[in-house]
Amino acid sequence: MKRPAETESSSCESEETGLPFFHSWKSVYIFVLGSFVFWVALLVALTKYFS
Amino acid sequence: MSALDFVVLIGSMLGIAGYGIWRTRGRRSLETYLHGDRKTPWFAIGLSVMATQASAITFLSTPGQGYLGGLSFVQIYFGVPVALIIIAIFFLPIFRRLNVYTAYEFLGKRFDSKTRLLGAALFLLQRGLGAGLTIYAPAIVLTTVFGWPLNLTIICSGLLVIIYTVSGGSDAVTVTQKYQLGIIFAGMVTAFCLVVAKLPTGLTVTDTFALAGGFQKLNAVNFSTSIHERYTFWSGLLGGTFLMLSYFGTDQSQVQRYLSGASLREGRLGLMFNAVCKIPMQFSILLLGVLIFVFYQFEQPPLLFNPVSHQYLEQHNDSGQLQALESDFQKTHTQTREQIESWLAARHHGDETGAQTAFAAAAAAQQQGEAIRAKAEKALAANSGTTANDADYVFVTFILQQLPHGVIGLLVAAFFAAALSSKAAELNALGSSTTIDFYRHIIRRDATDTKCVAASRWFTALWGLVAIGFALCAHLAENLIQAVNILGSIFYGVMLGLFVVAFFVRRVGGTAVFWAALVAQALIFVLYFNLTISYLWYPLIGCAACVVFSLLLQMVLGGGGETDKMEAA
Repeated sequence: MKRPAETESSSCESEETGLPFFHSWKSVYIFVLGSFVFWVALLVALTKYFS
Repeated sequence: MSALDFVVLIGSMLGIAGYGIWRTRGRRSLETYLHGDRKTPWFAIGLSVMATQASAITFLSTPGQGYLGGLSFVQIYFGVPVALIIIAIFFLPIFRRLNVYTAYEFLGKRFDSKTRLLGAALFLLQRGLGAGLTIYAPAIVLTTVFGWPLNLTIICSGLLVIIYTVSGGSDAVTVTQKYQLGIIFAGMVTAFCLVVAKLPTGLTVTDTFALAGGFQKLNAVNFSTSIHERYTFWSGLLGGTFLMLSYFGTDQSQVQRYLSGASLREGRLGLMFNAVCKIPMQFSILLLGVLIFVFYQFEQPPLLFNPVSHQYLEQHNDSGQLQALESDFQKTHTQTREQIESWLAARHHGDETGAQTAFAAAAAAQQQGEAIRAKAEKALAANSGTTANDADYVFVTFILQQLPHGVIGLLVAAFFAAALSSKAAELNALGSSTTIDFYRHIIRRDATDTKCVAASRWFTALWGLVAIGFALCAHLAENLIQAVNILGSIFYGVMLGLFVVAFFVRRVGGTAVFWAALVAQALIFVLYFNLTISYLWYPLIGCAACVVFSLLLQMVLGGGGETDKMEAA
């Protein structure tokens, strides 16, 4: 059975993200972790302030 | 439900399913049937991953959890961002490079056939067992509230999802999930706006939060290090990371979603979309439950939200106990409401002492109300031997009693859309894994593409019928939902362990990891029956045990393990 040719290169981290502001994957991951920290901080503040 | 509600419900369900069948007609090759046409953009992948994870119970039960337990359940999702980043960096590039149809095919390339079959069997076992619940769980709640025939609801919704999943394969799942998620979001946003609109005038945003916080409903983060507490920051971040890593990285129902992307970039961005959106989404759904709690401080709530439980107590109420409980519950609610109104007035006049006194009285009255509710649940358990499962019924009861016609239809459509979208992805994955990992790998090695597509359709339909059959029998076991959830967390850890060894421990070969996985699985069973820790920890323990046992066994077996077959593949 035929399978399509493999197309991905191993140097995937250097691939362009195609996003404005976030040109490298590292910056995308940092943004994701930053948003996680933001939400945890918000939830901690909600817990502390209103309890 | 009115005629308008039924038009909204049936129109949206049949319309989306029909569109899915029409858009994906003529899917003939195995590649397009299992992976779509590999043109799916990142946004569609992101929505598809989200819709696969969010079942109907997510939208039915989570507001109830917010109502009863506050925001603490959100901590279970703290592991999502880290887990999805790990998958985007390590798992996805290798899956795509090897161009696998299933995640377990990768285990075969890295180790050997028996390890691949073990991974696939673990998946089929746990996902197959859980398959019926995705249909059964929302059906039991909705039929209880609306009085529909349960079996007919299960069969109709089950057959609908089988028809479009079998017809269009992976692409049909992705195409329909986009619109199903649209219905879900439209319904939830409408419900959120209407709950806010129904809060008393004069209650500001800070009043609402102060009221909810005063009743401990905004305790979102708990830094306790006790492993016996189910939802804490640490169990969410550590245990949750492993649970989510197992689910998103090794469960074929998710892997198949992000492998359908046009490129590695699309798959990665789809995962990152979920990494960013999951926590705020779950927070919003829980907050909806908290707002319903605030609403019911000003409106009389039912003693029990589950109408069947209430009816049962009515029928077995020889001593007039139910009337006494209801009367007491009403009195305590009136006291609570009056004290909250005093608290609000004092708060708005800057009378801090008066506000504190009034709130303390409101909290005491509210606790009395909760004690009466607990008594009713205890009476139910003593009479019937079952629990009220009230959390599942809070939101749907609120919808039915408080929201206008049309919106009721939209929200019931949202619940069914959620059930169908996750069910379709599950069936698609079960059919794919059975075809690729068993049929083509063992039974018919020389099967052509056409035969594999035909087999995949049959297996998908078969798993769909198994799911319907299982859902029809599900009422025989009261604690089935909990049992299957726990079953999932018991198996996920070892499955993740297989993949972690495959990716990161190159010296370990197939024989060592195969036996290590079996021993680790046995250990998890022993621990489960002897410990009382939160189930969130089992994926971490199972994964760690599999990795450690693999290394030890490889040392005993000697040699540097097998060569990395992936390199040779």
